Amino acid sequence: MGTAVRPDLHDPASLAALGHVEIVARWIVDGFLAGLHRSPRKGFSVEFADYRAYQAGDDLRFVDWKIAARSDRWVVRQYEEETNLRATIVLDVSRSMAWSGAQLRALGGLTPPTRLTKLQYAEILTASLSLLLLRQRDAVGLVRFDERVRSAVPARARTGHWRRLLAALEEPGAGLATSAPEALTQAARLINRRGMIVLVSDLLMDVPEVEHAMRGLRAQGHDITVLHIMDPAERSLTGAGEALFADPESGMQVPASVTDVRAAYNATVTEVIEEWRTMFASFGVSYEVIDTDRPFGVPLRRAFAARQRLP
Amino acid sequence: MGFLAPWYLLVAGAALVPLLIHLLRRRIGLQVEFPAARYLARAEREHSRTLRLRNLLLMLLRVLAVVLLALAAARPTTRSAGAGHAPTALAIVLDNSMSTGVVENGTPLLEQLKTVARGAVAQASTEDRAWLVTADGAVRGGSPAAVRDEIDRVKALGGAGRLTDALARAIGVVEASGMDARQVAVLTDGQRTSWTRAVDVRGDAHVLVWAPSRAAPANRALALVEARPVRWTPRGAVAVRTMSADSTSFRIALGARTLARGTAAAGEEAMIHAAPAERGWMAGSVEIEPDELTADNTRHFALWIGAAPSVRVAPSAGEFARNAVDVLRSSQRVVEGSGIVVAAADEAGTIPALLMAPADPVRIGAANRALERLGIPWRFGTARRENGVVRGTGDQMRGVSVALRYDLVARGAASAETLAVVGRDPWIVSGPRYVLVGSPLTADASTLPVSASFLPWLGDVLSSRLHGEPGVVRVATPLQTVARPPGVDALESTQGARTPVSGNAFEAPGVPGTYFLIEGSRRAGALVVNSEVAESQLERWPAAELGRRVSSPAARVAKTTDDWRRLAFSGASRRSLAVPLLVAALLVIAAELVVSTGGARGIGTSASGPLQTSS
Repeated sequence: MGTAVRPDLHDPASLAALGHVEIVARWIVDGFLAGLHRSPRKGFSVEFADYRAYQAGDDLRFVDWKIAARSDRWVVRQYEEETNLRATIVLDVSRSMAWSGAQLRALGGLTPPTRLTKLQYAEILTASLSLLLLRQRDAVGLVRFDERVRSAVPARARTGHWRRLLAALEEPGAGLATSAPEALTQAARLINRRGMIVLVSDLLMDVPEVEHAMRGLRAQGHDITVLHIMDPAERSLTGAGEALFADPESGMQVPASVTDVRAAYNATVTEVIEEWRTMFASFGVSYEVIDTDRPFGVPLRRAFAARQRLP
Repeated sequence: MGFLAPWYLLVAGAALVPLLIHLLRRRIGLQVEFPAARYLARAEREHSRTLRLRNLLLMLLRVLAVVLLALAAARPTTRSAGAGHAPTALAIVLDNSMSTGVVENGTPLLEQLKTVARGAVAQASTEDRAWLVTADGAVRGGSPAAVRDEIDRVKALGGAGRLTDALARAIGVVEASGMDARQVAVLTDGQRTSWTRAVDVRGDAHVLVWAPSRAAPANRALALVEARPVRWTPRGAVAVRTMSADSTSFRIALGARTLARGTAAAGEEAMIHAAPAERGWMAGSVEIEPDELTADNTRHFALWIGAAPSVRVAPSAGEFARNAVDVLRSSQRVVEGSGIVVAAADEAGTIPALLMAPADPVRIGAANRALERLGIPWRFGTARRENGVVRGTGDQMRGVSVALRYDLVARGAASAETLAVVGRDPWIVSGPRYVLVGSPLTADASTLPVSASFLPWLGDVLSSRLHGEPGVVRVATPLQTVARPPGVDALESTQGARTPVSGNAFEAPGVPGTYFLIEGSRRAGALVVNSEVAESQLERWPAAELGRRVSSPAARVAKTTDDWRRLAFSGASRRSLAVPLLVAALLVIAAELVVSTGGARGIGTSASGPLQTSS
């Protein structure tokens, strides 16, 4: 598959419209892996598992030249990798995540109506990331939370576990509050030894609570990656006019003129991001801001890079 | 400060709109879901001071913009500041008299004046009204573009024009415009002979004058060109006098050919005698070498040329008349014959005739009967033996007195011309083919026969009054009003173009030259149009003196053409503030845009730097 049509680099909204989360996630992961070129799995302890047809982008080192010489078919050798990582994805499913900038079109913004909500984006990202990890024989677990933990799937690496994760993603959520500390604690309980925790959230929560929970997890030796999901309309106010801006979770209402407060708001968002970044960096947590209009390949690469840094 | 459209000040009330918006808390109808409302609240909390100041500044800028626009729409004017000018009635008096045709620095002065005039018109706006008034008194008005075209078409006149009348007319035009700002801007060569008297400026129109400060170039001109006599039989002379510092060569042309060449000493009259072969009414001219002002290097004259009249002098005419005719005959002015009779009236048998009262009072009755027989509508009346001074139409009767005369009594509707009077009584009258004198031509009756002017007078009477085609020569300056000679119905140029004339008087052509007077189908004389001699005197008034020539406290003399252009609308008592206010309003609107967009962006960047992504 060529770079131009690789699903991991495709527009998220257009890609999501093509099928179910399961299908879309497979496309993304396949495209992502095809784009790695030089083996990302170099250095792993591997043993031969199967053959498959050669695809453009596959490393020529794994082509079975004997078969190619005998049957004029190009096949590559596939290896089973040993699992040495347990990862838990902690997904925020609160009501604030079920929002996209398309709801601000009344103010004249340019957000397309098909933009994914933060939750839709996060679920596809979660499915893709878990599939990617499972294909590496890592054990993957899932914790979904809003004001409380909605569902928790222990980390497993066996075949069929991914479908269980997908089933969990389809369970209801969208509570009126966000309580990340409890979810993070739950995630820590699901990982009985040092592992990797990926928090996928819009981080519309109080910093000290999150910081406290994070510090605890870090003290237990977990490696934490935070994917801060933001809609571009949250990053930068667009449009014009006056409106009553209402927080769906807290019910807080802020009257404002977009034109008047745009610059101050944008500055505040930048400050908030910097605060998160500084706070997470202070105790070794990877932090990435992900806009929901970015292709899935981008956050996937961030999370995968974090995985690669682990032993 | 005043306003040309004060009702637009009501628009300033719209300034209350941004003020009320700022002061009143409005109900916001639109509610949108926005999970990041906490960031919005924090932004308003942390930047509240800046936002309040910014909103206050925006409100003030918007109020100011509305007020400035309303003020500009009301078209304010002021005496002290501002750009452009208030709507002005501007009359440009462009001196295009003949003297402005002088070439200075390689360019005719008139072209320089036109360039300056165009510069002033270029400053006119669509709200101004402009007129161009030339030295001939012609007024042309219209849009600035139309006036500019009129300026392009202006040419130098053939004479002095009526510059002071033109100025008075320009003042009248702007005064009648009804506009507040009235300006008359004069461009002239400042010629002393054009500004001979002070012009009284009525009303409060401002008058701006510019004239070149440099000295006028030396000029050579023809001061006098005259055919003497007007009727050549066929001998005659052309008198030429030049206006020059030294002697000047000249050429006399008769019709299309050169009649003679000569040189005239400075200020002295030269007489060139000739006996041309042409016959009838002719046009002639005298030319000198061209100089900086070429328009006065040619001067025109007219004459009638015919054969010498034949004259018979009866004994009753007296010894003086006979001797005088003998002298004329010897100089070939007349010849022996019976064409014209010179006799006492009682012995007259035919006309044309020069008749005088008989020396014997007893013969008065016979004289009256002879006059009746000849159809002459005059009779001798009571004898007057008293001294009287004669006044004639020319200089020839100067010093002549009368001791004996008879009243000349007209019979019926006598169509005659009185050539000389004593007191109020006619003494010499002239009609078709006769001249009648009220005294005998004797030394005891009058001093005419013994005066020096008797011989020229007699020659003129014989050749002009009683011989050849009748007709007159009139002399005029360009555009001068001329009394129409009886019977004349058209003017004919030397190129054959005819211009009908009617009424008691008509305006002489503006172009110098000889124009034949046409009566029916025949030539009945000529109108000679030459520029005023004074127009060739190019000396100029100093600026201060020129200013005094315009009797108005609102008169100014510009030192340079740039000053003149700059001050052309300064007569506008007020200057328009509309443009500065519009500029200020645009600046305020631009500032409002900067504050509402760029300035607000500055709040963000100063607080925490530009928004960054983590990718």
